[in-house]
Amino acid sequence: MSAIETLRVATVAGPSIDFADVNLELGRTRILERISFQVRAGSVHALVGPNGGGKSSLIKTLLGQMPHCGELSLDWPDAPGVIGYVPQALEFDRSLPMTVDDFMAAMCQMRPAFLGLSRRHAPAIEEALARVGMLDKRKRRMGALSGGERQRVLLAQGLVPAAQLLILDEPMAALDEPGMQVFEKLLVDWRQSGMTVLWVEHDLQAVGRLADRVTGLNRRVLFDDTPQVALKPDRLLQLFASHPPAGGEGGV
Amino acid sequence: MSAFFEQMRLLIQGWAGAGYLPEALAYGFVVNALFAGLLIGPVLGGLGTLVVVKRFAFFSEAVGHAALTGVAIGILLGEPYTGPYGSLFGYCLLFGLLLNYLRNRTGLSPDTLIGVFLSVSLAVGASLLLVLAGRINIHILENVLFGSVLTVNAQDLAVLTLVSLLVVALTIPMYNRFMLASFNPQLASVRGVLVKPLDYLFVMLVALVTVAAVKVIGAILVGALLVIPAAAARLLSQSLKGFFWLSVLIATFCTLIGIFLPIALELPVPSGASIIIMAGIVFAVAAIARSLLPSLKGSLG
Repeated sequence: MSAIETLRVATVAGPSIDFADVNLELGRTRILERISFQVRAGSVHALVGPNGGGKSSLIKTLLGQMPHCGELSLDWPDAPGVIGYVPQALEFDRSLPMTVDDFMAAMCQMRPAFLGLSRRHAPAIEEALARVGMLDKRKRRMGALSGGERQRVLLAQGLVPAAQLLILDEPMAALDEPGMQVFEKLLVDWRQSGMTVLWVEHDLQAVGRLADRVTGLNRRVLFDDTPQVALKPDRLLQLFASHPPAGGEGGV
Repeated sequence: MSAFFEQMRLLIQGWAGAGYLPEALAYGFVVNALFAGLLIGPVLGGLGTLVVVKRFAFFSEAVGHAALTGVAIGILLGEPYTGPYGSLFGYCLLFGLLLNYLRNRTGLSPDTLIGVFLSVSLAVGASLLLVLAGRINIHILENVLFGSVLTVNAQDLAVLTLVSLLVVALTIPMYNRFMLASFNPQLASVRGVLVKPLDYLFVMLVALVTVAAVKVIGAILVGALLVIPAAAARLLSQSLKGFFWLSVLIATFCTLIGIFLPIALELPVPSGASIIIMAGIVFAVAAIARSLLPSLKGSLG
């Protein structure tokens, strides 16, 4: 398997992302205020902050699902590529007779999932499941998996088709210990391959260990730096304080 | 198209006359009825799996019940008593689309909105029917509401074929997308699925099969055949493949047996009712089988 994995770390050219003065208001609530920062091409960029600080809204904005104002641009090195997305959770009936394979088929191919994996996508799906260590459970029902295993399957769907930009929404929240090792290995691979990864995370230790850069978000950008500099106690106290400071000092 | 059905019908009647097939099949209208069942049964079974996955069961039932009002409006507008297709389709579609629109706009949960819509629609329908009662024999409506499969003619078969083909052609390529949109709308749209338009399309498909199945099952009970076979199949299967095909199989089986049995036994039961009773029996057997055979429960216990 490791031979396959080494092969998989082919070079891809991820885009850079530029948030310039992005504002988002829903109803009368201001959710994001003058967001300006850059995600460098090919970097692992973490987004941290308290609940309700606007992390998920920022992701929705990036995915084009929020009526924002300001400028948000993706700069692709070549032609626009594939964006992968790993959500926090799935809404589905736990008793639904849907195996891991069925789920992957429904995500990745046009051919109806009840007809089985299509020949074109089967190898990629198999490889993705192998990379997250779920290949031996591919015939299990999604509802019968543990939360951590389900999260791994969600990671696997983010791998098919191979993306240049991957957006991860708290992928470690439900992961168990082996799952975390799988995830950390994937992050290392992605960084090596040149993929751009935007990663929303609660686990600050993991961010400190694995991210190239980290942005603290609580309605505004409170810091944007390397983890070594950004994740200092005073910065974090400010970030997680229940009232964000009144003065707008967007960026660092 | 109708030439094909005509040929098949004559062939089957011939075999029945020669004693190879049950005697009842010697009658043309019986054969037509079974054709109708064969056309709509599998479609309802297949679409039903999506209804169950998307948790649209209550919605499908509501669209069926809305048909009552549609029928009343149709007859008031002068459509034929035996098949007021235009108003029926128009009303069911309007009902579904408006419901979906308000669900998006108000953020009320679907079951609350369906509760509102269903009761208002039934109130309007009941009022209109009372107005109609002075003008026509209200019993004629039983055919539309509970099915009268023995009156299926070549035109009905043509409508059924067209609708079945249309629904299959739209559902098969979109099947995964329909499911994906219900699992996680955000993930779906990243993957290029147009979540909201697909919701509307689904509503239209449900309205379409409801109207097409009116002759066979009757407007009131159509929703049941979208739900029960899929629910029974879900109890018995461990994968989507089993779920889908079993649902198709159960729906087809129940439709054919439900049409044939009252004729063979000369029971005065409307086809719709007997089809749904068959489906109910299959569901009960599935539920019992699941509780008796541990392997059917899978690893969830």
